[in-house]
Amino acid sequence: MKPQSCVNIKKEWDIVGARQLGREIAKKIGFGIVDQARIATAISELARNIYLYAEQGQICFDVIDTMEHKGICVTANDSGPGISDIGQVMQDGYTTSGGLGAGLPGVKRLMDEFDLKSVENKGTQIKTTKWVR
Amino acid sequence: MDQQFKRIAIEHSDAIVQRWLEEINSLKEGNYTASISDELFESTNREFVNVIFTSIKNQGSTAAVEEFSEKIINLGWPLSYITDGLQVFRRETVDYILSQSDKVDSDFISNVLKSVDLWVEPLIRQLVNEYSGSWEHILSLQRVALQELSAPLIPVMDKITIMPLVGTIDTERAKLIMENLLEGAIKHNSEVVLMDITGVPVVDTMVAHHIIQAAEAVRLIGSTCILVGIRPEIAQTIVNLGIDLGKFPTKSSLRKGFKTALEITNRKVIDLKSQEEDAENLMGSLDGE
Amino acid sequence: MRIPILKLHHYLLVSIQTEIDDHTAIQFQEDLLSKIHKSGSSGVVIDLTSVEMIDSFIAKVLGDVVTMSDLMGAKVVLTGIQPAVAITLIDLGIHMKNVPTALNLEQGLTKLHQELGE
Repeated sequence: MKPQSCVNIKKEWDIVGARQLGREIAKKIGFGIVDQARIATAISELARNIYLYAEQGQICFDVIDTMEHKGICVTANDSGPGISDIGQVMQDGYTTSGGLGAGLPGVKRLMDEFDLKSVENKGTQIKTTKWVR
Repeated sequence: MDQQFKRIAIEHSDAIVQRWLEEINSLKEGNYTASISDELFESTNREFVNVIFTSIKNQGSTAAVEEFSEKIINLGWPLSYITDGLQVFRRETVDYILSQSDKVDSDFISNVLKSVDLWVEPLIRQLVNEYSGSWEHILSLQRVALQELSAPLIPVMDKITIMPLVGTIDTERAKLIMENLLEGAIKHNSEVVLMDITGVPVVDTMVAHHIIQAAEAVRLIGSTCILVGIRPEIAQTIVNLGIDLGKFPTKSSLRKGFKTALEITNRKVIDLKSQEEDAENLMGSLDGE
Repeated sequence: MRIPILKLHHYLLVSIQTEIDDHTAIQFQEDLLSKIHKSGSSGVVIDLTSVEMIDSFIAKVLGDVVTMSDLMGAKVVLTGIQPAVAITLIDLGIHMKNVPTALNLEQGLTKLHQELGE
């Protein structure tokens, strides 16, 4: 595994920076145009969640290149308020920000693997992976 | 030690080859190579055993092995011919070396086994790799062929495109269908896309879900998707499963769907001559005779 | 950075050419509504051919802009949504059911023309 690259999310514009870097990495790994859009969109959702709910955090990218498969692992870390009811945020249409409520369940559908860890008042880590088909 | 065994094996290669050939020939009876002519079998066996000895002499020469495996693959002989052949060779060689030695204790036997194994192992590995490599190659070619077949798009006329679907739809294929459908609709500037599921044997919730998603994506890019070829049993399953297909147009046959597509694009089919006229012409021509 | 809004007879044309951040999206929403108000336009075409991704936020802004314009009496058509973008939106579970769409700018204008009956 190559060393990961990270983007700090503090300002609104960082959301754009994160998804642009993510798309570039995905392109280099060899993802098709549709999967590039999926990955960029998932990153955008994750970064926006950090910006909206935790104010600051990090989006990190890992390139996975093993014998069996290639892929990209996107990890979102923050030390914000955490999520009290994970079941609820994974429901379609649940929102506290007035958005479409498509964020996290949407990310899960866009990516192949999805893992959410959250401790209230400590922070949240979301780790998602997409494999090259 | 190893050098010594190697010398014995090479010096007495004729004897070993003889025994090997006999053994292999006995395997031929009622086995995988039954349909092969004796001459070809004979000559291939000789070549095989030569390759084995060249490989032992040259510490694993790869060029000869590669050439040989390529030949066997092209002949279509099974992998078991090669593995059996090498097993027999190992057995015969060990036997032979043991029979040529005066003092035989357990240490000696284990040394012989080890040496012969070391000669044969790289051969097995390389031959099996060549074989599986050729299988993987065939498999990937077939996969590409299948992908090309799996989501064809036919631009029947200006603004109207048809995608006939045949066979089972799984998640992987559904993704391919969706991508082809959208790319094609844009490429051919299709205002209407007809998705024909006459050839899809089973429409369960998952297949219906994929079809609905594809139809909705088609709407997003600014085209209309009509689902055609809904057989009675499929209509029943769809309703029984509680799937809502109400949001986009469906038709029982491609013909009806095509008519709707023409209406959407403000066109219709007209006969150039009416049938009555045809009949009159026919009568006229008969009168003239 | 602002997204330019062009006036063509009684229609407004918008072509989004750049990566949109949240602020630009909101700014665009305000600009478009005030332009509709000032010009009295009855139809708007927003062309998204060069947009490489739409996430849930931008989708919401676009959906809102359509509904808001409708309230002000201007019909909006979104055109040129790319396949990759459409697939991503469907994956996200965003169907934009109330938003009219067309393949390209030309057909978008035709659609407006038909729907407005002019």
